[in-house]
Amino acid sequence: MDLKLLLDWRLHLTVIVTSMFAEWVGIVRIPLGPGTLLLLPLLYAFIIGVLFNPHLFSAMGKVIPKPVSNAAGPIILIAILPFIAKFGSTIGPAIEQIIAAGPALILQELGNLGTMLIALPFAVLVLKMGREAIGATYSIAREPNIAIISDRYGLRSPEGIGIMGVYVVGTMFGTLYFALMAGYIASLDILDIRALAMACGVGSGSMVAACSAALAEAVPASKDELLAFAGASNLLTYATGLYISLFIALPVTEWMYKRLNGSRQEISHENS
Amino acid sequence: MKTHESTVDQFDAEALKELRPENQLGKTALVLAAVCVAAWFSNIVNGSPLLDALPGMLILYAMVIIGLVVGRFCPFYLPSVAWVSLISIIATLPFFPGNGWIIARLAEVDFLAVVTPVLAYAGLALTGREFAMFKQTGWKLVIVALLVFTGTFIGSAVVAHVML
Repeated sequence: MDLKLLLDWRLHLTVIVTSMFAEWVGIVRIPLGPGTLLLLPLLYAFIIGVLFNPHLFSAMGKVIPKPVSNAAGPIILIAILPFIAKFGSTIGPAIEQIIAAGPALILQELGNLGTMLIALPFAVLVLKMGREAIGATYSIAREPNIAIISDRYGLRSPEGIGIMGVYVVGTMFGTLYFALMAGYIASLDILDIRALAMACGVGSGSMVAACSAALAEAVPASKDELLAFAGASNLLTYATGLYISLFIALPVTEWMYKRLNGSRQEISHENS
Repeated sequence: MKTHESTVDQFDAEALKELRPENQLGKTALVLAAVCVAAWFSNIVNGSPLLDALPGMLILYAMVIIGLVVGRFCPFYLPSVAWVSLISIIATLPFFPGNGWIIARLAEVDFLAVVTPVLAYAGLALTGREFAMFKQTGWKLVIVALLVFTGTFIGSAVVAHVML
């Protein structure tokens, strides 16, 4: 990518103004049923960014030309790094609590297998999806998971299309969805807030960020502890998540798909 | 099917390599400076004034660069986010020299303010291809993806809850 585009002042100025405006609006709380939805500045920043996107509204090409918008893609990966550093700095001081919670932290990785439990039956039985359901539901579809599918089936296979779809949805809405869902579930007060913080660790950097930030806003008193747990969990996901995906999640998803697909065909035989 | 294939094309090995920031340290260092400035300004509203937050932002910048350099020259592969996070954990551990000073400087940088610009870049970065793919395979995969996220999150939370 051309350095001139990467350092285009219009892009960075737009981002600065957008971020400052979003921060100024601040956190908005909306009561919803038994819980509360938290709207965070990062949500407004994303929406304003989309509104300025020249690919969606060509008139915006005058502010941000299309090549500059394309350059913003690789910038995301770099822009998340200072945040990751800030994140890591919450883990160091809390290291004793984290070690104390060690077993929970390590075993919650197995909870990631919950991924396909709801999503796979729904995809196969309700939406009548084919093998793309395997790629779509065996994992949370971040980069290491894509690498596994690409290695095993190739990205042009139905499985590859499935995982790419979930990847794109995750890229577009994952961060926002995690923030909304985590904040809401925390406000229901059913699960230990530290457990929720660990569960935040499953996603990409920005998902973890949004998720744990929403929790920290829901329970400001334990902010530091929550951030530390989410950060530690995310780190462990890098260490162990790949192997759990490869050796447990993918074979289990394959097996479940065959069972579900079999029962679907039986039903359609009975109907016909 | 065409849309699928073109989406797939951007993920060939070379594109992924190009995406790895540690492979082009000079360029990354400059872009990193630009995004740090964005975060620095974003931090004014709910964090600290520019001068108070400056040492903290510089520490974050240095941590990222050290993490990338380690990742670049390390004989085995770990994603750069993992390295950066390890560097920052080590620098804030209780026995690390000057850890109290580092933590105090970093406290001037608001946690959320650093991530707000990232999402602004993300909104600006969506390509025509992503919008098009979204329109096509759209709704089914959106539903499945949201179920996947929910299932992963609740699954992990329940296991952790039982273990705590």
